[in-house]
Amino acid sequence: MSERARHWPYLAPLLAALLIWVYGPLAGTVVLSFLRWNLTSGPAAFAGLANYRALPLSLAIALWKRPGRAASGYRCLLFIPLVLAPVATAISWQFALNPLQGIVHTMSAAVGVPAPNLLGDPRTALWIIDLITSGKMIALNILLFGAALGAIDPCALEAARIEGATETQVTWHVVIPQVRRTIAALGMLTAVYGGQWSFTSIAVLTQGGPLNSTDNIYYLIYTYGFTYFDIGRAAAASAGTSP
Amino acid sequence: MIATAVCLLAPPALAVLGSFKPANMLYDADPLPVRPTLANYRVAITDFPIGQLIGSTFVVAAGVMTLQLAVATLAAYAIVRFRTRAGNLLLLGGTAAILVPAQALLVPQFLMISHLGWLNSYTGLIVPQLSGAGVALVLLRQHVRDIPASLIEAAVLDGASSWRTLRHVVLPLLRPALAAVGTLVFINTWNEYLWPLIATPGGSPGTIQTGLALFLNAEGANPGPLLAAATVSALPVLIGYLFTARRVTGAFMHSGIG
Repeated sequence: MSERARHWPYLAPLLAALLIWVYGPLAGTVVLSFLRWNLTSGPAAFAGLANYRALPLSLAIALWKRPGRAASGYRCLLFIPLVLAPVATAISWQFALNPLQGIVHTMSAAVGVPAPNLLGDPRTALWIIDLITSGKMIALNILLFGAALGAIDPCALEAARIEGATETQVTWHVVIPQVRRTIAALGMLTAVYGGQWSFTSIAVLTQGGPLNSTDNIYYLIYTYGFTYFDIGRAAAASAGTSP
Repeated sequence: MIATAVCLLAPPALAVLGSFKPANMLYDADPLPVRPTLANYRVAITDFPIGQLIGSTFVVAAGVMTLQLAVATLAAYAIVRFRTRAGNLLLLGGTAAILVPAQALLVPQFLMISHLGWLNSYTGLIVPQLSGAGVALVLLRQHVRDIPASLIEAAVLDGASSWRTLRHVVLPLLRPALAAVGTLVFINTWNEYLWPLIATPGGSPGTIQTGLALFLNAEGANPGPLLAAATVSALPVLIGYLFTARRVTGAFMHSGIG
């Protein structure tokens, strides 16, 4: 076998896997979506996304500037939402937010106000879904920011400090410029994953309700395709999600 | 910093503590179980095939992990070793695949496995999850690239074939990275809810996440055993994560993402 052809046995399995299970279905989704595309008549679909980016960046920088046992313990804690089973997490939130008996009920009773039904109120339900999803997002962002920060030369920080820069100046003028690309990449990743990761919370806690307030495009695809069995419409919604 | 941690971790912590409380004290103001009991766990185990669910989820997670590591390691090695245009294109395709949302592929994937007769089977649960192999590829390629080229060249000079070089030089050095990436894939698959929901309309082989959601619908009014079941479902992953946390973060540190 020639040198050029020798790489094929190694590349072929992954190539086949991606073609069959990613790019094939993606093309299928686009084709199916043309079978029926009056999605515009459906309910307004949006990915409920808060801006998760600023918080993890400041946390990651704080953790990285002061290495030690406390920082690594704290980092370990923050990663828990990322690995915790999403259905179990959703169940625990439902338990805590139960308006008749949960911790929210106990706390409101202590203050003397009626307990809010946070998951049953169209004005607050999306915020709760966002909060649960942002727990995972914060963990992922800290993980990846940590990776980017690890590549910065600590000497640059020392030099800035010796020249009399304040900690805020060090952060803004030395650290941030070096991780700018990561910030941009993570912004995109957060936007793509945020809507997807909220799926389990929506499916378990609200099913898109109350009054469609927590519906997002990913949950919509699922309900069209697998609750109403309208494959064409589900595919049309899917085609809209691919970057 | 502390407020963030408290806010995000309080509900899961309350749930774990609550799972040890007797039913009549479940919603007491005191978050600690004053009279701890295992009654909820007993109900969860008898009413809910939890051992069976954990077993089948383990099979699925181990299967997905093995398949993804196998195809990604082979490709990562060839991309670094041969540096061909096909390899670079595959790397690009694998990276782009990370950005395709799973939900966008759902309908065609479902139609494919139902045509193949893979619904309600381990094959149907495991093989389509190869679509997530992009992450493994990106992480492993970086680690293969970190292996000194002189080691590989030495093996080639000794007359080793590319396959022998992979097995006897690259794989032993790659072992820590494989463990870290494997852990990551395993945890993600263990926590996967959407695909098992779609691929097993008959509910068998059930995975722990879909089983838990069914249990929620059946026992919603009886939260004690539900909390116990949720705790049991999260435990294996949490323990696994605590033992490998440093390796998993290390794999990302080396990934060069960003």
